[in-house]
Amino acid sequence: MIKRVLIANRGEIALRILRACRQLGIEAVVAYSEADRESRAVLVADEAICIGPADAKRSYLSAPAVISAALATGCDAIHPGYGFLSENAAFAEAAAAHGLTFIGPSAEVLERFESKAGVRALLAKHGLPTIPGSDGVVADEAAAAKAAAKIGYPVILKASAGGGGRGMRVIQNADDLAQLFSLCTQEAQAAFGDGSLYLEKYLVDTHHVEVQIAVDKAGTALHFGERDCSVQRRHQKLVEESPSTALTPKVREEFLARAAKAIGAAGYRNLGTLEFLVGPDGKPYFIEINCRIQVEHPVTEMVTGVDLVALQIRLAAGELMPMSQAEVERRGHAIEFRLTAEDPAQEFRPQAGEIMTFRSPSGPWVRFDSHLYAGYEVPPYYDSLLAKLIVWGNTREEAIARSRAALREVEIDGVATTRNFFLGLLETPSFLNGTATTGMLDAIGTADILAAAPKARA
Amino acid sequence: MPHNTERLGDLIDSLVPVLVERLHETGLGEIEIERDGAIVRVRAEDLGAPIASAPAPSAPRGATPSAATAAAPSAADERRHPVHSTAVGFVKLAPDIHVGGKVAKGSLVATVDVLGVEVEVRADHGGIVAKLRCATGDPVEYGQELFLLESVGEGKL
Repeated sequence: MIKRVLIANRGEIALRILRACRQLGIEAVVAYSEADRESRAVLVADEAICIGPADAKRSYLSAPAVISAALATGCDAIHPGYGFLSENAAFAEAAAAHGLTFIGPSAEVLERFESKAGVRALLAKHGLPTIPGSDGVVADEAAAAKAAAKIGYPVILKASAGGGGRGMRVIQNADDLAQLFSLCTQEAQAAFGDGSLYLEKYLVDTHHVEVQIAVDKAGTALHFGERDCSVQRRHQKLVEESPSTALTPKVREEFLARAAKAIGAAGYRNLGTLEFLVGPDGKPYFIEINCRIQVEHPVTEMVTGVDLVALQIRLAAGELMPMSQAEVERRGHAIEFRLTAEDPAQEFRPQAGEIMTFRSPSGPWVRFDSHLYAGYEVPPYYDSLLAKLIVWGNTREEAIARSRAALREVEIDGVATTRNFFLGLLETPSFLNGTATTGMLDAIGTADILAAAPKARA
Repeated sequence: MPHNTERLGDLIDSLVPVLVERLHETGLGEIEIERDGAIVRVRAEDLGAPIASAPAPSAPRGATPSAATAAAPSAADERRHPVHSTAVGFVKLAPDIHVGGKVAKGSLVATVDVLGVEVEVRADHGGIVAKLRCATGDPVEYGQELFLLESVGEGKL
């Protein structure tokens, strides 16, 4: 039983969690840094507590500050959102030691699923196909060269402790490997405090497809369909949709059922996402797991009608799965656009500043998750996500048509955003016919996509 | 909100002489204390006209006190130095920290217990404690005003 949750995050996800808490009749306290004093979640919360300065290391990333804030406000649970401390096993353990329910997998589960190389081996054992790669972490450059020669170039060198699209580098040949191995080790050490690397065959022209799963404490594991997140820029997702255009119905159902079964059997608990690459052969290969609620979860909510944040809280509170797999109905098609404070005309350079005008889109089957308001100051310290536009349609075509209409209604002045990039994307043939792969933005320049956007009325 | 004016009168009668005396002793510009939900404030420039405010709204635990404490800037502001919490946790005030207590610049005025670790709060200015905004054992947020120091001019004492 959870009575009072400390929301240890910011931006749109803090607001999303606040809404889920209110819906469940759970009290919520929003933890914020000094830079977020005027953020929407803080303004609409019944209660909020400042946990530190703008520097995330001393606020959102400080386990003592977050746990102390939970105790100071009489909370019995912490929701970490995504990023920050959300997949930190030491944090989950410290929270539990102070009698707080961590809304996510337990410390023990997080630890088991912490090493990317280890998880690949674990899930392969439970029947998930993985991309050919090194057998776990590579000990040194010589071991990496040997593994790479065996699986064939190009390969991708990944930080075992990395994530969120960071800590990976494509290696084209043996010379590159000799040149870059120690640099990658240093980078991984600096970014994640762990220099271990593993490598995988680098597949080109892949779809990034992920499976939303949930597991209760008894080990009942369900899947909620897949999301296709192939439109990416430098491994950062821009658009997500469900279902994926890369899977045939036959492959899809078998694949989803297999993913849910494997993750339950491997001992995972709470909400999570299994990420796969689907190659030109149409087969999904497991790459990694995300042990948290994800930015793109609304896509799944729109096609299944399941409130994933509420489900996550209920599972963390110890409830059993409130539905069966047969009751998870997937209907129609949903697409999410991540509107960020980045200027697509300038290499997606991050923007900060005051929002002068803000009008959110509306209409049938349009959802807009955002913490913006006119007069809000976008701080320069954190990630640049401003809003998520999620649109549903009976078919992909209908969802796309509604997305065009909704995007045109979005008005955000004061900082450059990715809105026009998405309007252009919705006129780009490879996106429209569902063949866009993770290499799309390398094949078609951003300038061409922007040029495809319909001109605004002068 | 209905208020027991008789009780408020008694409160003022008993407190004001003490506060006025304290004002003279300390050379402070203003002293404010809270009793039974009422705030009594005595100012040097208008002695004899104490302001008895309505009961203080009980701020939610850990809530931002900024709105309640924001005031129009005045000449007196330059002498006022709010002391802020350096961490989120439970506060413990140093023994000298009571209205009228003297504080030396740089001295340890409070600690904040963050999961058993005592985080220090030191005074950036010397002065005399004019107003307490918290009590030992209270939960405090980062940056919360703990108390107000007032520096005393040389010629004032």
